[in-house]
Amino acid sequence: MTAGARVPLRLVIGLAVAIALDTGLQLVWKTGIAELPDTSSVWEMLVAVALNPIFALVALFMGAQLVNWLKVLDHADLSYAKPFTSLSYVTVCVLSVLLLGERIAPLQVVGILIVVAGVWCVSQTKRTTLGSSAEGE
Amino acid sequence: MSPTAFGVLLVVVSTMVEAFGQIFLKKSSVDAERRRRWILIGVAVLTAEIVLYSGALRFLAVSTAFPITSLSFVMVTLLSRWLLGEEVAPLRWVGVGLILVGTSLIVAEA
Repeated sequence: MTAGARVPLRLVIGLAVAIALDTGLQLVWKTGIAELPDTSSVWEMLVAVALNPIFALVALFMGAQLVNWLKVLDHADLSYAKPFTSLSYVTVCVLSVLLLGERIAPLQVVGILIVVAGVWCVSQTKRTTLGSSAEGE
Repeated sequence: MSPTAFGVLLVVVSTMVEAFGQIFLKKSSVDAERRRRWILIGVAVLTAEIVLYSGALRFLAVSTAFPITSLSFVMVTLLSRWLLGEEVAPLRWVGVGLILVGTSLIVAEA
């Protein structure tokens, strides 16, 4: 078990960017979905998506996320990196309170603490076990 | 099968599909010679996941569907171990378990 202190800065930044992009994506996505017409026609739905510029933003976020995520995976196990993205559940929840004035339930606070504890556990494990090119950075 | 059960099944399948997509993306980093091919497969699979999940939302409320998606953290860990041969230390499993519980609590109450 290696300490989290040996994690390279590049990976820390990559994970932080992944969480930030994921948070932005979820908030933008939510806004976009809320603007969609209430229709059961798949075709009408697709047209509405194509015409709404907010979904271009969604696509942009997804593209940036893919590029950044591939870089993260060059420096860490998938089973190490993926759990960190759960922090976006925390950021989305906190931002909904701060920006949208939503109320936070006591159980959500418990959930946030549990997620942070879980991510801390994962951060204390070896970031790469495949013996690949990520060694020695 | 009731529409709700079908919706739940779709969400569970979509989390498995997402885990496979993630495996393909990681493959692109492990198998550099075929990097582009793995990325294309990964993106295609993740696109299929979005379609499946959107389909599930026709049968389920988001408040039911979203908590189930946190299963993807477990799926990704399982497949990383089985298909990529990553070493999942006990503490990493504990972390994933806590994350599963914590994310479910956050979104179930939202």
